[in-house]
Amino acid sequence: MSNSATATQGVTGQPRASERAVDIRDAHYVYPTGNVVALGGVDLRVEHGEILGIIGQNGSGKTTLTKLFNGLLKPTSGKILINGIDTSTQTVQQMAAHVGYVFQNPNHQLFARSIEEELKFGPRNIGVPEDELDERVAQAVEFFGLKDYIAEHPYRVSFPIRKLVGIASIVTMRPSILIFDEPSTGQDHNTTHIINGLMRRLRDEGTTVICVSHDMPLLADVVKRVIVMKDTRIIADASPREVFADKALMARTNLQAPQITEIALNTVVPRGGHVALTPEELAADISTRIRGTAVTPSSTAR
Amino acid sequence: MSMQMALPIAMIPGNSVIHRINPLAKIVWVVGYIALAFSTQNVFLLYGMALFAFLLAPIAGVTKPLLKGALILVPVASSLLAIQIIAPAVEKPWTHVADIGVLQLYGDGLYYGFVLLGRVVSCLLMALIMVMTTHPSDLFTSLSKLKIPYAFNFMLAMTLQLIPVFQREVGIIMSAQKSRGMKGRGFAAVLPSFVPVFVGAIERVQQLSISLESRGFGSNGFKTSYRQVKVRPSDWVIGIIGALLLATLVTVSIMRGLWSVSSLVVFPHIFVFWLFIVAAGTFAAIILATLIYAFKK
Repeated sequence: MSNSATATQGVTGQPRASERAVDIRDAHYVYPTGNVVALGGVDLRVEHGEILGIIGQNGSGKTTLTKLFNGLLKPTSGKILINGIDTSTQTVQQMAAHVGYVFQNPNHQLFARSIEEELKFGPRNIGVPEDELDERVAQAVEFFGLKDYIAEHPYRVSFPIRKLVGIASIVTMRPSILIFDEPSTGQDHNTTHIINGLMRRLRDEGTTVICVSHDMPLLADVVKRVIVMKDTRIIADASPREVFADKALMARTNLQAPQITEIALNTVVPRGGHVALTPEELAADISTRIRGTAVTPSSTAR
Repeated sequence: MSMQMALPIAMIPGNSVIHRINPLAKIVWVVGYIALAFSTQNVFLLYGMALFAFLLAPIAGVTKPLLKGALILVPVASSLLAIQIIAPAVEKPWTHVADIGVLQLYGDGLYYGFVLLGRVVSCLLMALIMVMTTHPSDLFTSLSKLKIPYAFNFMLAMTLQLIPVFQREVGIIMSAQKSRGMKGRGFAAVLPSFVPVFVGAIERVQQLSISLESRGFGSNGFKTSYRQVKVRPSDWVIGIIGALLLATLVTVSIMRGLWSVSSLVVFPHIFVFWLFIVAAGTFAAIILATLIYAFKK
């Protein structure tokens, strides 16, 4: 079974079309030390090419859930199928060809003598041939704008660049599912912009992107589906627009919608406007309304 | 998963009787144990000390981590005993016990081997119990009451406090590298996992020194402590009993010429033979397993 799967998927971990990217059925996870329940029955299905955000307070189970995806943790009970493969039968190294995991702190993964070597480490581990390595590295260097740093030691470059190297070192493995843990923490505007662009491009290429983040504007901008976690369970699963507009849900999970959405909710929405996710949306809404006020005096009467 | 890697030498939080004993009283016992262990050659006394320390573990609720920490004794014990049987650290003539191929086994050094092992076991167990039941800050506060130099005191406390931090760090780094498909645990895993740990450690120390200096580390004057360490009457009792008991035993032992009872303990030849087989076998197995791990890719 797993042999034929590898044969059809090849080294890049490209999935068979018939399987879901992620299929989690009633997953529970209890940490062995101290019997802390981290996941209390999670069901989740993600299709290929979806771009998914996971939000929730610290300790709600987000990280535990994502660690189940690549087998870093095996569920205490329940089933995790990734591209149709049961993670409980696979090692993390085997899953690495399917699921890329970008850790929050790039310092935890960088070690090589040069950024070029760093970018080659992952794909080499999953058996990508040497001539293809160069091509993948060249593409990543181009996309992430790392040309000037390629021969530098990863610890010599600034933190935002290091973060990009960390992400690029996973992207060169071309996993069919890519998990980002807090990609925008401590990043400057330019890096955040590159990360946004990357997520969109990956989705366009058919990669499933899963992003754990507290950065609501980032999610509002790129993500099409948000799951909200609270106390080890998924309590909501909808579009960012619906999730951010749900004031009760936001309050219950102690989360804050993007400021733009909050402004929209307190201004245009009660008057029949849209729940805006980006400044552009709100601006468009307001400008139609301003034009509208000129013709309908009733709205200025208040 | 990260706990697998962890070295079990950090504090285990708890509120047992042992946890509540004042750190100074515990230090009295640890120092006393070390003094006694190295001033006696009485195996009964040494293993009695080890047993007493071990019995404290269930009271403190740290039996499992203690046993994990005591695993380090397996290679120590097996190599120590095996070597004493092949090459006794006592004067000749040696009594020949058996032959295994070219190896000649002797029983004479075994008593001394057990003494050495007893010293290691008793001191290690007592020290582990103390470390596992004492908050590093409390130790710090207590030591500064003893007028131990501030910088030295801080070094000690910081070392203990950083252990759990690095344990967590190593766990995360291993997860990150495994997620990148890093194979094996041998030489192939050394660079990817150790470079980030060391770089992280150096960065952390740099940050720590900056933050210390910005908070006036090394300035003169009276220092207060956030954590209050109370000295209760029971702590005095435990400390004084420990000091008296251990000091008495040290004195008795030295007066009796290290109190060796080697003449009372006679090891049957068959015991020496099988002990050697088990000890040497265990040690060889450990070496072999390490080599296999190291070269497996």
